Amino acid sequence: MSAMFKRFKREPLLPILIVLVSLCLIVFIVFPLFQIFKASFIMNDGQIGMDGYKRVLSGGGLSRSLTNSLVLATISATLSTIIAYMFAYTFAYVKIPFKKLFNAIAILPVISPPFVIALSAMLLLGKQGLITKHLFGFENANIYGLHGLVLVQTLSFFPIAFLTLSGLLRSISPSLEEASQNMGAGKWKTFISVTLPLSVPGIANAFLLVFVQSLADFGNPMTIGGNYSTVAREIYLQAVGSYNMQAGAALAMLLLTITIIVYILQNFWVGKKSYVTVTGKPTGQRRMIESGAVKNLLFAACMIITVVVIAFYALVPVGSFIKLWGINNSFTLDHYKYVFNLGQKAVFDTLKLAVVATPIAGLLGMIFAYLIVRTKFRGKKTLEAVSMLSIAVPGTVIGIGYILAFNKAPLALTGTGIIIVAAFVVRALPVGIRSGVTALQQIDPSIEEAATNLGAGRAKVFSSIVLPLIKSAFFNGLVNSFVKSMTAMSAVIFLISAKYNLITASIMAQVENGRIGVASAYCTLLIIIMAFALVLLNTLVKWLSGTNRRTYYGKDS
Amino acid sequence: MKKSWIGKMATIALTATLFAGCGSNAGTSNEGTGSTGGNSTDKPAATEQAKKNNGKLTVYIGFQEDHAMKAIELFTKETGIQAEMIRMSAGEILAKVRAEKDNPQASVWYGGPADTFVQAVEEDLLEPYVSPIAAKIDAKYKDPNGYWTGVYVGAVGIASNKEFLEKNNLEAPKTWNDLLNPKLKGEIVMASPASSGTAYTAIYSILKVFGDEEKGFDYLKQLHPQVQQYTTSGSAPGRMVGLGEAGIGILFAHDIIKYQEEGYDNLVLTFPEDGTGYETGSIGIIKNSKNQDLAQAFIDWALGTSAQELGKTVGSFQNVTNPEAVGPEQAVDMSQINLIDYDVADAGSQRQRIIDKWNAEVNK
Repeated sequence: MSAMFKRFKREPLLPILIVLVSLCLIVFIVFPLFQIFKASFIMNDGQIGMDGYKRVLSGGGLSRSLTNSLVLATISATLSTIIAYMFAYTFAYVKIPFKKLFNAIAILPVISPPFVIALSAMLLLGKQGLITKHLFGFENANIYGLHGLVLVQTLSFFPIAFLTLSGLLRSISPSLEEASQNMGAGKWKTFISVTLPLSVPGIANAFLLVFVQSLADFGNPMTIGGNYSTVAREIYLQAVGSYNMQAGAALAMLLLTITIIVYILQNFWVGKKSYVTVTGKPTGQRRMIESGAVKNLLFAACMIITVVVIAFYALVPVGSFIKLWGINNSFTLDHYKYVFNLGQKAVFDTLKLAVVATPIAGLLGMIFAYLIVRTKFRGKKTLEAVSMLSIAVPGTVIGIGYILAFNKAPLALTGTGIIIVAAFVVRALPVGIRSGVTALQQIDPSIEEAATNLGAGRAKVFSSIVLPLIKSAFFNGLVNSFVKSMTAMSAVIFLISAKYNLITASIMAQVENGRIGVASAYCTLLIIIMAFALVLLNTLVKWLSGTNRRTYYGKDS
Repeated sequence: MKKSWIGKMATIALTATLFAGCGSNAGTSNEGTGSTGGNSTDKPAATEQAKKNNGKLTVYIGFQEDHAMKAIELFTKETGIQAEMIRMSAGEILAKVRAEKDNPQASVWYGGPADTFVQAVEEDLLEPYVSPIAAKIDAKYKDPNGYWTGVYVGAVGIASNKEFLEKNNLEAPKTWNDLLNPKLKGEIVMASPASSGTAYTAIYSILKVFGDEEKGFDYLKQLHPQVQQYTTSGSAPGRMVGLGEAGIGILFAHDIIKYQEEGYDNLVLTFPEDGTGYETGSIGIIKNSKNQDLAQAFIDWALGTSAQELGKTVGSFQNVTNPEAVGPEQAVDMSQINLIDYDVADAGSQRQRIIDKWNAEVNK
């Protein structure tokens, strides 16, 4: 008791912080999920029963959707991680032209509104697709189904993996690799035995992130899933299409269980090792690969992916000026007239709420990461696991959980902006935490210890040592939370109110009605807003840390 | 450096808050009033009384976005009652109303097939109200107890792609059995009944047309290999057929007309001569919600002529239920097609069983 008190006296901020953070998690994640858990046992007539689980586990469509989702998530996560690693490696290790362009392209899919890639896939590779029919003359190309989903999800999600990996690869200290080479190892050997092992936590994190996002993905399966049903879609269909909240909730609980298992496995596998590379000792700058087959190969691969991404994105702005894609290809401004007349409010509402949510989610993410990596307290593992829950369940579940949880006093939040901001933050948090954790795991705690020894308190250490060191992770967290908020769909579709309408809900409505032109115009506008915000955020973060950047980890931009 | 990090962060947070604050002011300031209108021919007492009551009405609307916005504008203009709306699909509205049961956020549910309303009545989520104007509406388009009243009607039709038909030397399908033509294998799209009210209406209609359920299911099993894809959204098949991704689609006629009007002029609309079903788009009041008097005024307005005639100006081509309103000229003449007796209550109560059976026996 007295030991605890002493610790409290020395660091009064820490326990307060832990309590606050735990409270946030309980109110905004555990409580709503508990409501869903409850709903999975309540039948439509109000009786308690196991019908939902029986329906899911009795075989047929619902259990098929579970296996489908797992297969899809495994393939998408593997492919995304490979592509992302290749991109990140190229950026950090290879001297190639157009680096800025590649970088922009690699994050472009992150700022993609839902449906965009799926819509483009239909237009490019569908039965009447530009590539499939008009370029190659295939008569019966079919984009609907598993292969279409893999393509679309890989394109949509590899940037998340990229953002996680790029900061990590850049901050691997070159001295380790130089040592390896000095001892006679070749480049390949160095890569296999130094670089790759050092990036294991990043790879595992990236894989996990894409895996859960794929499980929870809603927009893509809705658009081009075809007859390949996945869990997130099935939950929505059960809750919304079949009016069967119970089966939807039961399915959500099973999905949650699977994700938790994956998370535990990942943790078991990577969690115990130490990956410290930023030690505070001065290191030189990395010597980049400047020529050779490796360079050419990587350059070609980046080029191909870049072309593919550009092809997928160019269609959207083009489509927004075309009267009726594939039928009447004349130029029109009608779609923009519609968007500017009727969509204005949705655009401003979304922007406003996202701007509020972004700094909250960004800072919270870093605080969480710090607590997870650098502090010891009872229940830390639980805290960490709970913080990841929100990404592990499809947005629909969060949305319905939020209405169930926050519809009555004392937390009557439905219809307010707070509930949407909370959903934004909670959905964006896991990615922020993951990238923070990845970055922190690489920083030698002795730097902070040195500061502590010099008399700095924890808050001081956090603000002047930790934050600057994980700046790029912090930036990634900010970008991610802004983008996630701007493009959130399934989670907020039940939370929108007359006062706060959201642009994605409008896009979904347009897609549902087959008005691809208007949907494209909305998406184009959204992409422009997000690209602008990205530049702004980048500048801001640079300005924030510009003067006090140390030379701990060489060049980092 | 010193406190720069924290200081700068605070500056940003403050700016963000300010920005958000400004934004919200801008958001609310443009809700101009405008009680100058009032050219509606039907203006029952509820409206007059409600006008004095200075509340604000919230409506969940199942129409497409522009229709929904225009409807609210027109309502405020004609009645002077302040109103706001949220647009969602009918299934989403039901899910939201159910989740908000203990503290309803909206008073009126406007648009969406009657089956969803039947489900809501079963769960005790609606408040009955018999509008004086409902008397004009055909009995089959409304609930006898006033839980829901029809505002539009739309029949299930078949959309064909003209080029596809020509290329394969086919006629547009005229009966349900025409869809079993071997040339149509893998060419038909329809929505999944599990997700779409449209598809459920179609399947329930097919069961009725074939007389008994077993024969109907035999037909659906034969139809299954013809189907390329069961889409999530009810109207998506129209776009797919219009774009040539599929040859034939099964969906509501008013959606087919909408696609034609939007420029998909290769779409051909036919109706099965052996009979087809229809949906009744409805309106109802949410139980225990605020501003019940305003809600009643809204229903009176929605059943009136001006509201019903709004649809055709924004690309909604359903038939209207108020015989005094002039429907869209493009709309189908319902007396010219073979409509089955569509029992909404029965369709609603059989729904889960039929969908389960369809999943187990047809869509294996």
